[in-house]
Amino acid sequence: MRPDGRSQFPLLAGISLRYVGTYAALMLLGSLFLIPFLWMLSVSLQDAQSMFAQPFRWIPDRPRWENYAAALSAVPFGRYLFNTTVITASVLGLTLFSCTLVAYGFSRLRFPGRDILFAVCIATMMLPGQVTMIPLYVAYARLGWVDTYLPLIVPSLFGSPFYIFLLRQFFLTIPREYDEAALLDGAGRLRIYWSIVLPLARPALATVTLFCFIGTWNDFFGPLIYLNSPEKATLTLGLNMLKSQVIGSGSVQWHILMAASVLVMLPNILVFFIAQKQFIRGIQIGGLRG
Amino acid sequence: MTRRARWLAAGALVLSGCSSGDRKELQEVEYNCPANAVEIAVLQREISRFEADSGIRIKLNPFSGQDKLYAMMAAGKAPDIFYTSSTMRDRLAAEDRILDLRSVSRGDSLPGRLWPHVIENGTSVDGGWYSLGNWEFTCGVYYRKDLFSEAGLSPPDSSWTWDDMVSLARKLTRPPNPDGRGGRYGIFIGSHFVEALELMNGARLPREMLLLKIPAESADLYRRYIALMDEGIMPDLLRMQALGMQPAQLLENGKVAMLVEAVPNQSLIEAMTEPWGVAPLPRFPGKEPAYFRSASGGLSISASTRDPAAAWKALKWIVTQASTYQPTPVLRDIDFAGGWEKRYPQLRGNGFRQVWDLSLKHNGGDPRFFVRFSSWTSGPILERLQPLLDQVWARKKPVDSLLAAVPAINSEVRRELAVMAGTTTLKPEFREKIEQALKEMHDNSAL
Repeated sequence: MRPDGRSQFPLLAGISLRYVGTYAALMLLGSLFLIPFLWMLSVSLQDAQSMFAQPFRWIPDRPRWENYAAALSAVPFGRYLFNTTVITASVLGLTLFSCTLVAYGFSRLRFPGRDILFAVCIATMMLPGQVTMIPLYVAYARLGWVDTYLPLIVPSLFGSPFYIFLLRQFFLTIPREYDEAALLDGAGRLRIYWSIVLPLARPALATVTLFCFIGTWNDFFGPLIYLNSPEKATLTLGLNMLKSQVIGSGSVQWHILMAASVLVMLPNILVFFIAQKQFIRGIQIGGLRG
Repeated sequence: MTRRARWLAAGALVLSGCSSGDRKELQEVEYNCPANAVEIAVLQREISRFEADSGIRIKLNPFSGQDKLYAMMAAGKAPDIFYTSSTMRDRLAAEDRILDLRSVSRGDSLPGRLWPHVIENGTSVDGGWYSLGNWEFTCGVYYRKDLFSEAGLSPPDSSWTWDDMVSLARKLTRPPNPDGRGGRYGIFIGSHFVEALELMNGARLPREMLLLKIPAESADLYRRYIALMDEGIMPDLLRMQALGMQPAQLLENGKVAMLVEAVPNQSLIEAMTEPWGVAPLPRFPGKEPAYFRSASGGLSISASTRDPAAAWKALKWIVTQASTYQPTPVLRDIDFAGGWEKRYPQLRGNGFRQVWDLSLKHNGGDPRFFVRFSSWTSGPILERLQPLLDQVWARKKPVDSLLAAVPAINSEVRRELAVMAGTTTLKPEFREKIEQALKEMHDNSAL
């Protein structure tokens, strides 16, 4: 620091010590959240015993890439990947379709009982899944949908209160003047929804896409309850099948399980990085910070 | 392939996933097998052979956990064959949700081929036989032969006593180096095996108890167990939990010289590279031998099965023929120990057969808390007892505190039993058992 108080490094001018401290603290905190992931990655490249080594060796002497090959062959990974992709893509498409339409209605249309309906919609978030599990199962069983993907996919056609809320909040930030201008030009409600609101709501759509993708891709309970046949299983069920490979002693091949977990996680990470910029904008505008 | 054809093919694949798999024919039996990739693959390979021989198709439905099972029952779609733990079995039997296997096995040769205790283990309080186990194990003391030779000690045999074990453990214990490494403990006994030693100490722990009772022999054993840690010849349980090491590793890397574990224990057998042997649990002078044998659950047939005879045939095949469960320890006419020695030659002459045979000759059953109490009382007992036990093992509370807690725990049990007795769906035989326990509590103020 020079006597006049200015930094002797021009590039650092304006960067206060407090600023640096804040970022250092945030990076430290952030790295704490990385530890479980790094541990998983490390174990996935070691042998079965090294996970329990004292002290734990973070960087293996010789990475065992063959663990990944073993994970891929231990269960029909390709089949499960296909099944998971079919379910996730269907859920994603239907969720975006239904939730955007409902949110558009709640944010743009005026009709009697709108606010009460919205409150009821939001209130359904309070119902725990365990309460509805058995009645839903009985209903799907009567429809003959058990052991099909329908109970996992069809409900997304009826919207999700959380995504509806998120999208409605975002749609409210889009000026109504755009709608009015379009109405004057002869556009209908659906045209405004499709050509004006949706293109302007990309950050919110990215947020919903990300949440929905991660939620569906990682869903364990739904497939566990509704799918019976092993060939219809999803990746999360496949991971569960890997968990216990030895009869009686119940020994778990942790290194293989961790390798499989890394593989299952990869699409999540990929989707997050692709949608990161829009996602952060979406949660800022959608009021979901913190 | 044209673009259109590709789309059609993809659509067909999606539809195949969305089509109902519920194409039950009369002779189809749904089996809720464990969600284990290896087991599923082996079963899938062998099912076609069974189907060709019997005309019965076994459809696998792999899942674990009770949520799905109860949902399926509520929808009247329970798998024909599913696993029940001993605590869950009673409740399902009392509500008439599982079949009494005596009704489907009449005239069949299988019950005669089973060890008598296998049927006893699957029998509920009304005398009905509701589950057939396909796996059992005992437990023993694994030891490192080289560490015994190094210390000039003879390995244990079937006549050794608790005091012999303590004496050997003292001699095998080595203090750590100044840097804190290289130490060794004489023995390690996981707290879940303490109850096996209670049996050896003469505690009589009948199965399907409704009330919590801690016999004097159990309390004596608890004190002996804690003394091992106090003396420093067994590692502290809290420290072991913190280290997160698997028992086999403790023995393999020489952190302990003796280890109480399940026999047989596949992961231990596969992990050990150092020379090892296994001995029966130590005896207590003047006490009859009663070796631990566990069969905490088994396969049951749903009362909603459409074809009980086919379900029984499939159950029989699963237990006695499916290679993933062979050799099975539940059949009398199978050389189980020989089968394991064939699979793992290192078991020959290392004490495995002796431990196994002794457990059959002096079968003490499974005294563990989670099978000791009936389903109606296991919840209120375990919820209160387990935290207390954990504190006793951590040496934060004395053993006497457990004894003092018995009446309070049983008063919770009384409440639970009273609720159960009021359930209208309960079979009369089960209601009588509950009312009997309530009367016993009323008559015996110590409970």
